[in-house]
Amino acid sequence: MTVDDADEGDERLVLVRYGELAIKGKNRSEFEKALARNIVSAAAAISPVEVERLRGRMVVHPKRRAERVARRLVDVFGIASLSVARRCSNDVDSIAELAERELTRALDEHTGPTPIPFRVRTRRSDKRHPLTSTEIDKLIADRVLPARADRLRVDLDHAELVLGIEVRERDAFVFAGRERGLGGLPVGTLGKAVCLLSGGIDSPVAAWMAMKRGCDVVFASFHSAPYIGEGSRRKIVQLVKRLGRWQPRSRVASIPFTAIQEAIRDSCPEGYRTVLYRRSMQRLATELAGREGAGCLVTGESLGQVASQTMENLTCIGAAAKLPVLRPLICFDKQETIDIARRLGTFEISNLPEPDCCTVFLPARPVIRGVLSRCLDAEARIPLTELEANAFEHMEVTDV
Amino acid sequence: MERSIYLDCAATTPVAREVKAVMVPYLEDEWGNPSSRHARGVRVMSAIDEARASLAALVGIADEGVVFTSGGTEANNLAVLGAARARSARVGGTGHVLLGPSEHPCVSRAAEALAEEGFDVETGRHADDGALDLEDFVERMREDTVLVAVMLASNEHGGTYPVRTIASRARERSPHAHVHTDAVQAFGKLALDLPELGVDSAAVSAHKVHGPKGSGALLVAGNAPLRPLFFGGGQERGVRSGTENPAGIVGFVRAAVLADDSQEETLAHLRRLRGVLASEIDALERSVRVLSPGGENAVLPSIAAMLLPDPPDAPAEVVLHHLEERGVLASAGSACNSKKKDASPAMTSLGLGPEEVLRILRFSFSRSTTEDDVRVGVRALGDVLEELASKIEPARADRRP
Repeated sequence: MTVDDADEGDERLVLVRYGELAIKGKNRSEFEKALARNIVSAAAAISPVEVERLRGRMVVHPKRRAERVARRLVDVFGIASLSVARRCSNDVDSIAELAERELTRALDEHTGPTPIPFRVRTRRSDKRHPLTSTEIDKLIADRVLPARADRLRVDLDHAELVLGIEVRERDAFVFAGRERGLGGLPVGTLGKAVCLLSGGIDSPVAAWMAMKRGCDVVFASFHSAPYIGEGSRRKIVQLVKRLGRWQPRSRVASIPFTAIQEAIRDSCPEGYRTVLYRRSMQRLATELAGREGAGCLVTGESLGQVASQTMENLTCIGAAAKLPVLRPLICFDKQETIDIARRLGTFEISNLPEPDCCTVFLPARPVIRGVLSRCLDAEARIPLTELEANAFEHMEVTDV
Repeated sequence: MERSIYLDCAATTPVAREVKAVMVPYLEDEWGNPSSRHARGVRVMSAIDEARASLAALVGIADEGVVFTSGGTEANNLAVLGAARARSARVGGTGHVLLGPSEHPCVSRAAEALAEEGFDVETGRHADDGALDLEDFVERMREDTVLVAVMLASNEHGGTYPVRTIASRARERSPHAHVHTDAVQAFGKLALDLPELGVDSAAVSAHKVHGPKGSGALLVAGNAPLRPLFFGGGQERGVRSGTENPAGIVGFVRAAVLADDSQEETLAHLRRLRGVLASEIDALERSVRVLSPGGENAVLPSIAAMLLPDPPDAPAEVVLHHLEERGVLASAGSACNSKKKDASPAMTSLGLGPEEVLRILRFSFSRSTTEDDVRVGVRALGDVLEELASKIEPARADRRP
């Protein structure tokens, strides 16, 4: 807790802006409710907050620590940008007084070279206000600039520090600067998706991207005890917890996969093993989606990244899913995925030395161009329906 | 609590009831800071003084030679870094550091840090029978050697090292050398008497001898100089600043005293367990090979590293999880997916190939392990090997033309 957080009381608020395009039409109210809910939940660990919905804006009132709440909200999907602001009545004197305070604070925190290119930018939602936006810009600039002539230099086109003013019917917001949000859509507004989560680097990133587009992601993980230890399950939980920054509550289904893997390994052509394991996972994930009311699957597959992800093999694998399969990373290079995983903080967890598939199940020479009819022939040799039903029945579901 | 056969005592041991009992007062009423000048603090310091004196007496050093630490890792780091840095000035700057061939990472990685500071770090090698190549090792001792560090017994395979001989040869050849031994695994099983061994320091840890985790000591003989790793309030005679851990210290020393009281019986008990292990393994009629570097008599009997047969073509980690399913807890030499380059130097220096290192399973015992535990453990191992052979091999045979 910083000193300035402590002495600001509850005056400061967080002004949240969200993209306009997504909120047209009937979905608007649902979108806003979900965003408000997600904001409250994200801020909870820092401060209780109240959310006020205005036209095209949300005003978040933290009980304390407004700066930290704002830093946290940057990671809430659906937010285009936000500012820590103060509210006052909409007369020029009140606005000027807050402008002084916010500028003083911004300059105290500034460490770069001076003078800083600066401007005032007013946005007027109350068009009946006696002054135009430009007039307010000028009036306020004239009040705040003279005392800071050595540190601020007006530059309307390339301002680094923008003193923002939003004038409304009865009040006004004043703020110095704004943070960009992640954009996207509030988690949950586009429905549920089941993500097949391995312990690897890709699938957590894929899940994150689906969350970004408004999916509420349910996780399916497959466990090969006793070939693989309890540590792998812990790794899955760690990954989901890390993604909790973007999706606060997540459901994780741990599906026992040993019997299926053994049957495929023992009775199917060796080269097809991986493809067949994955087909089985797609069927189980589809089943889980049915139970959870999810409308699609999400995988971390990337074209050509490994033998099982050639175009032909992806076709064989995808054919087992009864729902659309979202593959957000399909055209990403590995490094691009790693870069995101590092930013998310999942990379270090994925790199923990906990295997997600035991080496005894891996084929020596995996097939590169799988053929669907051969998959189907192989699957006909083993009682897969029964094995999969049994696995599904023994699935463990936990909420993280 | 789940019922299981715990054969992983080299990893840690359960806290003895008597140990917990002496710790509790320092987590309840006696919470004073030992450095305080008031009675609340002084009482705690007195308890630490008493613990220090007991431990010092056990290992034959002066009370001042006991440096309580957060455990074995810190004790070894303090010895390696602290001793080498303290002595480097005598040999004109950095100096030469000589390590045993299978040191724990808290010794070998600390020495890597010395190498980055400019020290010349060298490692000994095993002879063909897995024992230390002593002649070669002594040859490497130099006039400018500032540190010789060799463990008493290996955590990986239980092999012991002739620390006494090494110490006396080091005195002849390397007058400036600090001789350190990592006694973490041997402590409580082999007698530890510093003057008798002739070393300058030994590292010990509480939780390997039924004490609490987070507590250990560097035992220092004579006035061997050490540069501290931590600076602050000057506790532990300035060698290890930081408020003491009274509960950890009294618990540790109680555990050490208990271990010492029963050291001879424990050693005899562990030898019996190793005998049971050997005969049970014979009865399996599978080619499980218990490693005994330097010969059966040279191995710390609490640790049995076993090279598993192939077939089944399964890494020890897979066997370990199958054992776990049967309630038997053990450990593997290397993780299933560890890269070949990460293969344990202790094992490769015994002449094992990278594939073999993956097939090392370790059972380890303490005085609380019973003969039945070992029987059940080995029989479970037999069952697992059979199960895996039947599950994995047909599939492999299938693909062979």
